[in-house]
Amino acid sequence: MSTFLDLMVGTLTQGLIYALLGYGVYITYKILDFPDLTVDGSFPLGAAVTAVLLVNGVNPYLTLLAALVSGALAGLVTGLIHVRVKVRDLLAGIITMTALFSINLQIAGSNLTVERGVDTIFTAGPTMALLGGVPLIYRKLLVSAIIVVAFKLLLDIYFKTKNGLMLRAVGDNATLVTALATDKGKIKITGLVISNALVALSGCIVCHEQRSFSATMGTGQVVFGLATVIIGTTIFKKVGFVKGTTAVIVGSVIYKTCIQIAISLGLPANLLKLITAVLFLVILALGNIQKGGVKKNA
Amino acid sequence: MLELRNIKKIYNPGEITEMCIFDGFNLSVSDGDFVSVVGSNGSGKTSMLNIICGSTPIEGGDILINGGSIVKTKEHARYAKIGRVYQNPSMGTSPNLTMFQNLSLADNKGKPYGLTRGVNRQRKEFYREQLAELGLGLEDKLDVTMGSLSGGQRQAVALLMSTLTPIDFLILDEHTAALDPKTAEVIMKLTDKIVHEKKLTAIMVTHNLRYAVEYGSRLIMMDKGQIVLDKSGGEKKDLTIESVLSLFTQISIECGN
Amino acid sequence: MKKTAFKFFAAALAIAMLCALSACGSTVPVIGINQYGEHASLDNCREGFLQGLADAGLVEGEDYSIDYQNAGFDDTIAGQIASNFSANNVAIMCAIATPSATACFAAAEDKDIPVIFTAITDPVEANLDEGNVTGTSDKLPVEAQLDLIRKLQPEAKTIGIIYTTSEPNSVSAIAEYKEKAGDYGFTIESVGVSAQSEVTLAADTLISKGVDCFSNLTDNNVVGVLSSILEKTNEAGIPVYGSEVEQVKLGCVASAGIDYYELGRQTGAMAALVLSGKATCEELPFETISEYGYYINSSALSEMGITLTGDVAKSAVEAK
Repeated sequence: MSTFLDLMVGTLTQGLIYALLGYGVYITYKILDFPDLTVDGSFPLGAAVTAVLLVNGVNPYLTLLAALVSGALAGLVTGLIHVRVKVRDLLAGIITMTALFSINLQIAGSNLTVERGVDTIFTAGPTMALLGGVPLIYRKLLVSAIIVVAFKLLLDIYFKTKNGLMLRAVGDNATLVTALATDKGKIKITGLVISNALVALSGCIVCHEQRSFSATMGTGQVVFGLATVIIGTTIFKKVGFVKGTTAVIVGSVIYKTCIQIAISLGLPANLLKLITAVLFLVILALGNIQKGGVKKNA
Repeated sequence: MLELRNIKKIYNPGEITEMCIFDGFNLSVSDGDFVSVVGSNGSGKTSMLNIICGSTPIEGGDILINGGSIVKTKEHARYAKIGRVYQNPSMGTSPNLTMFQNLSLADNKGKPYGLTRGVNRQRKEFYREQLAELGLGLEDKLDVTMGSLSGGQRQAVALLMSTLTPIDFLILDEHTAALDPKTAEVIMKLTDKIVHEKKLTAIMVTHNLRYAVEYGSRLIMMDKGQIVLDKSGGEKKDLTIESVLSLFTQISIECGN
Repeated sequence: MKKTAFKFFAAALAIAMLCALSACGSTVPVIGINQYGEHASLDNCREGFLQGLADAGLVEGEDYSIDYQNAGFDDTIAGQIASNFSANNVAIMCAIATPSATACFAAAEDKDIPVIFTAITDPVEANLDEGNVTGTSDKLPVEAQLDLIRKLQPEAKTIGIIYTTSEPNSVSAIAEYKEKAGDYGFTIESVGVSAQSEVTLAADTLISKGVDCFSNLTDNNVVGVLSSILEKTNEAGIPVYGSEVEQVKLGCVASAGIDYYELGRQTGAMAALVLSGKATCEELPFETISEYGYYINSSALSEMGITLTGDVAKSAVEAK
């Protein structure tokens, strides 16, 4: 039985950590209506920065901040390319993502492992002082949960501020934003900055959790993020705005659970991705059937 | 208070579709004027509005508000003192936000959109009163998302939003054209009410000759980027729909329409 | 609607539970194999590993059972497989290729499960040389390969090499090639790619530069599309030297390479020691294969007009 519990705890932890990535995609894709591919680059950027800092003996908690800043910068670049150079949204993200691949290689090389001797946020002093008696996997779960919930609350509060409302308006009706004497370019940039900061934070925590950075770890993360957001919002059809941030966490956990189920089923390893796809389809179909018809584009 | 001086505007310069819509166009609007602008399609009415608001750049000339040139001001900055209601009712409000949130955003126009609370509970009563005066029953719908309201209701809110904060003038861009006759009538009456109560200067572009004649203190007819009729005050009051229509038809025939 | 979502969730949990329970049912120690992806060399490793266990006298089903998972070249999945192993309390994690090994070692931290890796070029660089971890390294015999090429193509001057910039094994191998090439009178023309889709373009580039031959590293992306590379090089009349016997079977002219099956067997033997408690990972330093074999593909050689000479002819084995 402890096996099952361990499995659940592990999957839940993964779901929580990657929920931050989901938030990032939620902000750009759902709220700003801006398909942002920077994510594939800012996610490993967070991990690269974290790995290098950890290996050089920097306080593990500081890496969280460093990751946020690095992700924010990545988002800023995409934003500036889009707004100032007037490159369209998809391409602006692709440009930054491509550049980041090389930048990440420069920062951390192609792979960087953090040895067991180095403390992570899960093993450092303050964490141990609070949760010392708890086994490592539970510590990972709790610390991740604390971080994710903290940022969820921050986001919820932000979306209720004037700036947050404006962000929501930009994706809804950009003309209105201009008519309200606000530079929609600046608002878009704000959204991209916040989004990518969160994505990089996600990469940072993943690096703490797996003690490694790999230059290819970003590939396909934007797809994961989109799947998470869509699954989450499909399950919670009547999304009152606060529930949006909760929906993302749920979507992320479900995604990771699907993969876990696929692995646990012991089916031929090559079919892993196919099984995951089938599971998604089932979830989305269930979501649509409930409503008694085809929901309009999620 | 608003002056367009020697405006020159060429669409698609240098290409086959090049068209010079304005060449030395002048217009002066005084404080308190409620100007109706009519004209056939392509006469330049909408271009003129876009030039004033800054979404269309000009090749030559100057735009002045109260003597100060705004040609170099960015589009969104101009809107700090300009209110605009669009033809499409969806363009004036944010569909996924509630009426309360929309009004709160509009209320903050001109001030920074920072990290303070987005909606102001204390103003809710004030919004309710303003909405009640519209007489459309909207005062009970403050917490409803705009997307679920009808075109007419959204346009009414858009009208309110555009005049919530102090503005130099109000631009009405065929704002009743997409509404059914009854709703259009309601919105037009509301517009008149608000313009008079708040003593606004307004420019209204419309295809509806009756509105142009019945409302407003001044009527302008445009054709091919020029003003062919400009009546205000007493002269305007004497205008009839028939006389305006006949002039309209005359120009159209000359154009070969 | 929340109810249906909840029902679905419950169903999912039930399925997961069943799987876990079935794993729980096994009282025989489980060896979890986390293979990074399927390609010939890695598959050979795995098969050799299983043979190595058998050679040590252990019987599958009695002394151990195998849980084989393939990560499909996806780092995230390799990670989840590793956590899965940890949650399932496997007795040993066997990791094939670096990304799987790093993932396993991180996941094993919780319960201090021994990790035995194979097919990793530089365990020191990957920080896998200390702690409850050991295994075998497939460090490329660069000098032996350079020597072989020199012997088979006495006039050749440039060697073209394609490699993936984000694979550390490849990056360190290229560095070694460039360092040692001069000793054998060669210069290296290398092209770095970031994804498998760029490999054939890289091949075109090298061909247009007029290299005298290609040499392969143990680069997953390159080896994955070897047949398309061979198509181009065969047309251009440029011989390709593989890094391992499977590649020679596929059409490379020759290789001074490692036998991954043997590498796997060595690893299996180490795993058997740890499983039966005869040794711990800390006591076993990682091993490298020191014996290299020459493998040749006679038809490929004759197509390229290369004749086998002296000592190579004596010790070369036809790759079958």
